[in-house]
Order: sequence, then C-alpha cells, then structure tokens
Amino acid sequence: MINSMLILALMILASFRFIFSFIDFSETQLASPILWITFFFSGMFALAPVYMREVEQGTKEGLMLAPISPSAIYFGKFLSTFVIVLGLNLFSTVLFFVFFAQPFPDMVSLLTIIILGTVGFTALGNLISAISSNLSQSQVMLPVMLIPILLFTVVMTSVEATFQIFDGAVLADIMDGIKLILAFDIIFVASGYLLIDYIIEE
Amino acid sequence: MTSNFAGLMADSILKAKGIRKSFGKKNVLNGLDIELQKGDVYVLFGSNGVGKTTLVKILATLTEQDKGDISHFGMSGEEHTRDIRRKIGFMSHEPYLYRDLTAWENLAFFADLYSIENKEKKIEEMLKMVELYHRSFDRVGSFSRGMKQRLALARTLLHSPELILLDEPYSGLDLNAQNMLNGLIKKMNGQGATFFIITHDIEKGMEIASRGGVLSKGRIIDEDIGKEPEAFKSRYKEILGGEGN
Repeated sequence: MINSMLILALMILASFRFIFSFIDFSETQLASPILWITFFFSGMFALAPVYMREVEQGTKEGLMLAPISPSAIYFGKFLSTFVIVLGLNLFSTVLFFVFFAQPFPDMVSLLTIIILGTVGFTALGNLISAISSNLSQSQVMLPVMLIPILLFTVVMTSVEATFQIFDGAVLADIMDGIKLILAFDIIFVASGYLLIDYIIEE
Repeated sequence: MTSNFAGLMADSILKAKGIRKSFGKKNVLNGLDIELQKGDVYVLFGSNGVGKTTLVKILATLTEQDKGDISHFGMSGEEHTRDIRRKIGFMSHEPYLYRDLTAWENLAFFADLYSIENKEKKIEEMLKMVELYHRSFDRVGSFSRGMKQRLALARTLLHSPELILLDEPYSGLDLNAQNMLNGLIKKMNGQGATFFIITHDIEKGMEIASRGGVLSKGRIIDEDIGKEPEAFKSRYKEILGGEGN
C-alpha cells in the first residue's frame, strides 16, 4: 500500500519532468503547483481505504462495539494517515528537488507549509472518507466530495504560500498564508471531532 | 439450567419492551418484548429473514429501534452506551477480524480497545481455548471460515463480557467445533455469563438452552421451551411450515 503510494508520487513527478522537458518554462513559477498536485493525488490514494476497508472487511461494527468514542477512532485514523501522508509528501519533495534541480528555498518555511497543509488534507480527507464509506460507489464519491472543498481551501492557500517561498519569501513573509491554513486545519479537525459520531453510528 | 433468578430486578441483564423496527414498508419487529436474567442461556429460533439479526443488532446497541425501550444492566440511553458495550460481547455473521493481521495481532488490537490488563496472558488463554494457539502468528486471511469463526469467538469473549450475544454461531463450524462451542457456553454460563443466541439449528440450540423462543412475524410467539423440549421442537417445525420454509 505505502509502496504503491510512493510509486504513484514518483510517476507523477517523473511525468511532469518528462512533459516539461519539451517546453520552455520557469520552474520557479511551476514548482509550487507541481509539488501540490503530486501531494494531492498521491495523498488521495492514502485516504481512500481508511474507512472503506473497515466496511469491506466488515470490521466497522467491531470498532463500533468497542467502548470507545467515535472521535477516538477518528483521531486514531487521522494521526496514522497524517504520518503516512506527511512521509509521502517529504519523499515527494526530495524527489522534486532531484528531478527539477531547483535551488533550495527557505526550507523551514517550506516544511511549515507542507506540515500544515498535510494536517488540513488528512483531517478533511478522513472525514470525507468516513462519509463516503457509507455510500454506494464510495471510491468515486471520495474524490467527488473531497476535491472541491480541499482545492478551494487548503490546497490553493498552500500553493500560493509555496509559490512565495520558491520566490524567495521567508517565514515572516508568509504569515497570512500560514494563519489561513491554520484556520482551515482547525475547522477541519473540529468538524471531524463533532461530526464523526453521527457518521460512524449511522 | 433454568435460571433461578427470574423476577429479581437486580439480576435483570436485559429488558426490551415494545421493540419495533421497519425497513421501508417492511415491518421486521412488531412490538417485541424480551427479558434476560443473569445466568440465562436464551436461544431464539427462527427461519431466515424473520428479523433475528436485526433484533440481535438492536440488543447489541449497533442498530437503533424505531420504537420501544431497552435497558441493559439497568442502564438505558445514549449516555450509557459505552458502559453497556463494555459488558457486551457480540459475535455476528461477520467475524470483525482484520485479514492482514495475524490472529494474535487481531486480539491484541481489540484488547487495547477494551483496555484489557495483562493482555498477553488473556490472548494466549483465548487462543488456546478456541484451539488456534498454534496458528497465533498466521494471518487471518489464510484462515478457513470455521477458524475465523473460532477466532471471532475468542474476540467476543476476550474482555469477559457479562452478556454474550451470538448470531448463528454454529454456521461454518464443523461438528467438533460446534460441540466445543456448546461446551464453552455451558462452562461460561456456569461462571455467571448470560447468553442470547439466535440460530435456526434447533438441535444444537436445544442442547444448551435454559430458555428460548421462536421469532415469527416480528414477535416472540413461543417461549415454552423448558417443560417439553420435544413438543417445542414440533411446534417450531409447524411455525416454520406456516412461514413457507
């Protein structure tokens, strides 16, 4: 499973490298979207089975029977996917610098944005994954529900902040972006905490 | 093995009154009443599709009834759900086991969910009890249906529940395993555990039942099992015949 995600990230970045080898472009301009598109699609692969596998294996009811709150299940799954997706994103970032031979920007700022963006991505992704696991055609419903919300919140803000970092900005210059991503993170984590009872017990 | 505690409210393990449940226009449970006392082995018989699984899932707090009141161990309401679940063990059609984990890892995971102390010793004891100790470190995905069922039983009993709900526990088990299961039920019942078992296997069910009934048309229509078991069997067959089975 993790191997498949790493290979997917590698393939996405390799595809971009291959495509852009024929086009004259400014890598500084495109670095940020390339990086976040890679994070976005390879991360989606990690989110899909989080709750769906519980339903497919028939283990969801086993979890529900346990004397634990649904929010404990949510946070357990959120933390484990966060660690996996963050690892995947860091791996993709290393690959990105290998493939595109970019000069290193301010790495503290870049890591901050990657970590905060990953929190929002996995918090919302887990919630949507739980909702979609109750639906028929859940594999299709996950991206259909997740992409619009994520794209116009965490991803766009992260892309903009990352663009500034590649353009020479440091942490102090991107504080507005950081605050906005933090706000999205808090909203998504709080939504997961408040709604998961109704979603899981359904 | 008939309960000696009937009528004592303090020993009422489960009380359900007027339970109704429908799916769309189909009424599955129609004002069903049931009460279990400590030490009962209540076996509910019924043909396929009469609502046995729906009932047991309601009693296990997994499904909510449309109408009616249920109390477990004198507690009711959503605020007590976790306390109730801690005291219930439920074995369903689904084994609730992770295929990618070993038998040991599965039990260890559930032991953590139930905060079981000294879990290694308990897991070892459970695996030996269901005769799967020699397969402790094999992945569940490689197990046969019967082995999964036995491991599911170990998972169900791992946290020493006071009320054990078993949904068609004999299906998928060979004769030896069925006998082992009944032996285990008798042993645990002797130690004070209360059982609610649903099955359509009248022979195996009657071996262990201290009380029982037949679910038909959304209600329990015959609970007179103890006095004349043979007469109960014939009535059960008549009920099945009446339902077209």
